[in-house]
This record gives sequence, C-alpha cells and structure tokens, in this order.
Amino acid sequence: MSPKKRISLVIGSGGIKCAAAAGLWRVLKSENIEVDSVVGCSGGSMYAALIANHVPEKDMEEWSRKLWTSDIMQGYTESLKASKDGSLRFNERSGLVDDSVMNKKLQDIYGAWEFSDLKMPFKVVATELQTGEKVTLSEGSVFDAIRASLAIPIIFPPWEVDGRLLIDGAASDPLPIDVAIQDGADIIIAMGFPLDYRARFRSMTAVQEQLNSIYINNILTSTYAFYNLAHHAEIFPVIPEFDGPVSMFDVDKIPDVIEQGAEAARKQLPHIKRLLADG
Amino acid sequence: MGKPRIALVIGSGSVKCAAALGLMKVFEREKINVDMVVGCSGGSIYASLIALGWSVERATDATLKMWTREVTAKRSNRAILQLALPWIFKFDESFGLIDDRLINRRLRDGFEGASFADTKIPLFVTATDLYNGEQTVLSKGLVADAVRASISIPYIFPPHKMNGRFYVDGYQSDPLPIGVAIREGADIIVAMGFESPYQEHVTSLMRYNFQISSVTSNNLLKTNYAFHNLAHHSEIIPILPEFEHPIKLFDTDKLPYVIEEGERATEQQIPFIKSLLA
Repeated sequence: MSPKKRISLVIGSGGIKCAAAAGLWRVLKSENIEVDSVVGCSGGSMYAALIANHVPEKDMEEWSRKLWTSDIMQGYTESLKASKDGSLRFNERSGLVDDSVMNKKLQDIYGAWEFSDLKMPFKVVATELQTGEKVTLSEGSVFDAIRASLAIPIIFPPWEVDGRLLIDGAASDPLPIDVAIQDGADIIIAMGFPLDYRARFRSMTAVQEQLNSIYINNILTSTYAFYNLAHHAEIFPVIPEFDGPVSMFDVDKIPDVIEQGAEAARKQLPHIKRLLADG
Repeated sequence: MGKPRIALVIGSGSVKCAAALGLMKVFEREKINVDMVVGCSGGSIYASLIALGWSVERATDATLKMWTREVTAKRSNRAILQLALPWIFKFDESFGLIDDRLINRRLRDGFEGASFADTKIPLFVTATDLYNGEQTVLSKGLVADAVRASISIPYIFPPHKMNGRFYVDGYQSDPLPIGVAIREGADIIVAMGFESPYQEHVTSLMRYNFQISSVTSNNLLKTNYAFHNLAHHSEIIPILPEFEHPIKLFDTDKLPYVIEEGERATEQQIPFIKSLLA
C-alpha cells in the first residue's frame, strides 16, 4: 500500500466570508477526511488557526459573531474627516482605524497561542509593506501572525513581526496554495473568495476599495491559474456562493455563510474521496 | 514551416517605457521585423508609436510634446469640491484629482488623429474595466482614445469613458499583457516589463496609496508572468531594462538615457532571438 496522502487546507482572504471554513471543516470531519496541515491568509488565517487547534464549530460561530462587529473600526470616521481637512498625519505605520479594539478581540482568542502548541502544522501569509514580498509566518505568536495578515491596507495599521512591517497577505497572494505545495501536500483543498465589486462610487474610499479589489481579484485568478498548471490535478477549489453581497459586519449572515461553505465543500467531496480511494 | 510571428509586448512603467524605442533601434539594425505590438499604460504610448511606424526621432519628439509636467499640474476643481463636500458635489466614478482636458488634447495632437486602421502592424492596447475589474483589449477607433484609457493612473486621472464603459489603467488587470499576444497567435513574444517603484518614505495617505498600488501591481506582474511562461509553449523573451537612478513620472529629460538602457537590455537577448529565428 502506498503511504497515506497528505491533505492540506488553504483558507484564502475574504473577511467575514471566511467563516465558511467552519462549514468546510464540518463536512471533512463527518467524512473522516483527516487534514494534515492548514494555511491561511488574511481573514482566512483566523479560521485556519481555529481549525489547526481543533476548535468546535459552535465556538467558531460564536467567536465570529463577537469579532466582526463595527466597533473594530474605532476612529475611522474621525480619520476620514481629518483626511479631508488635511490634518491627518499618515506614515508607513498608520491606519485609518485605531486598532486597539480589534487587537483586544484577537488577543482574547489567540493571545496565548503559539504555533508550536497547535494540534497541526499551521502557516500564515502576510505581505511586507516595504518590498511587496510575500512572507510566510509559522513560528512564535499566532496572534502576531494573524494580526499582520489581517492588516487591510490604509484601514488597519501594519503590524511589526521580527523587525518587518507586514500588511494583508491578500496584497501578495489571496489564496496561497503554493505554501501547501512547498510543504509537500498531495491533496490541496483551497477555499477562496473573490471580492465583490461596487456598482456605485459615492466616496474616495469607495474608489480606493474598488481599485484594490480589482488588483486582488486579478492576483487571485492569476495565482490560481499558475498553481493549478504548475501542480498537477490535486487542487480542489472550494468557492462558496452567496445569494447577495456579504459585507464586513453582516454577523447575522454567519450561519448562512457557514452553510454555504459546507455546501461548496460537499460539491468537491466525490472528487476528493475518489482520489483518496485511488491511494 | 511558416515564418514565426513575433509580438512585442510593452508593459506599464511611465517614462521608462521609452526603452522600447531603444529596442526598436536594435531590431531595425538586426533586421528583425515585429508582426504585432501590445501595450499597457505608459507602454501603450510606445506600442502605438511603433505600430504607426514612426521613427525613433519622431516618436521621441512626440513624447516630449505630449508628456510634460503641466498635464498633471491643473487640479480638478470638481475633485476638490467632491472631496470637501461630497453631499453637494456628487461623488461618482469619474473621480480624478487632475483635470484631464490637457492630457486628452495633448494625446490627440501627439498622435495626429491616427486611428488603429492607420497602423502598419496590428496594435492592441489594454485597459481595465472599472466595474468588473477585467482586462479589456482595445483595437479600434482613435489611438489617442485607447491610450488615454490605458494610462488612467489611479487617483490622478479620472477613468476614461468610452463606448459606455469606464476604463482605468491597464496595469490594474495585467501590468505586462503577454496573454494578449498569446491569444493573437504570436510564436515569439518579446516582453519588455518594468517593476513599479516603491516609495522611499511614506509620509502621507496618498503616498501610502501609491505604495500599496506598487505592491499589488508588482505581485500581479510576477504571477501573470509566471503563468504565461508556463502556459505558453513557444518562447517568451523577457527584456527588463535596468536603471541606475529612479526615473520619475515626468523625467522626460532622461529619455536619451532610458532609450540607451533599452538598447543595452535588448542587445543582451539578440543572440537568443536570432537562434530562435534561424
């Protein structure tokens, strides 16, 4: 018999939509499909960490509700006003939001976690602000890694890890399948979320957001095409579909988001199981 | 076997894109004929000049007339009001900090009213659709119009409205559009690309925006290049000119130097290109 195939789960960036990973996790567990390692980017890193520590689905849902509340945007309106009257001071360590609320919420969950204590190998992708390079984090504080990976440009201040200023992993690779490839995964289950586009532009921030979404979606398409071509046949995309746009603080939609994650995972099950049976 | 079709792809890179004129000098000397040109953003200006068959002197001259600091000197009064009082001066997709009337006029004059039908070899210019983020290939109508769409630098120039759509800079979807040349059936693709420069110091929100734009577009450049290289079975020849000092948006006084570096970078690849053609 050939050795067991190594399965890696990659959860891409997508803010609150990344809660869909809880549904994917449930489906895999119910089918006794054992995952060997997890990779996360931006919002996806939060859920990838929970999976890496075998957190039950109901806790994932509860924590999601607590985390994605509008108070994490503390100070945003004031900063916007200041940017209009020219009094806003901004440098490479700035963000429009005062991140103390978000940091506290993340600390409450991940504050005491170290990568080495998790139940399975876990890696987080962020981007170095100065050089634009992709950075993979897999040691030390899980909170630091997630906070860095979540640093949406302009909105949240970058986060310093080992002397490097890091921002959102989505700026270099929104669905970092290559980290799983490099780790020698035989089967990669990749959950990704294309960003929604706007139909109207009522503010400068809306334009900024759209331009950013265009970049990130184009990077997503192009990296996915590349990884798929470079790595043969074993990447399973899990792309949940939602009825309408899910915005950053739609906490009431979390149960539905999780269900859509499970639904999208079920669609790939027959293919995954066939590959496992081929052993 | 037929003669291999050669495409020249010129990526985004503002004034640095003039290095393509240096490439053409070398190609003329070596009697290498290009069968089609693809251009993105700053690269679309030179792709167009090359497709129109203008000499290096005439193209340099046209650049100097079109691209001067004045084209971004006039702040858009409407933009100032939109930022200050968005509830009165309705903010919409046509936002840009700079009044684009001068650049529009300069492009029309610079290209002397040429249309795609006037080009000596097929020309393709890429822009990005603001609403769906997808690359759009422009190959009809006035050259100046297509170039204007392709150089809609985010935040600076307003998106360009054409055929009922709003276009932003081509580099938002692919800074080095090799894919267009692949689809058009090129056998040999000579791709001249430029990384977007990073800010030395981020001292304001706008500079931070530019930094993020460079980060994302350079990542897009790398990943698209890797994909096209792997997917395309014939040859892609990268030409990446190196500059000792940063070339800024309006450094047209450095054009002779930029063209020289383009020549130098091209010469290095000539033996390889010739071996493919032999």
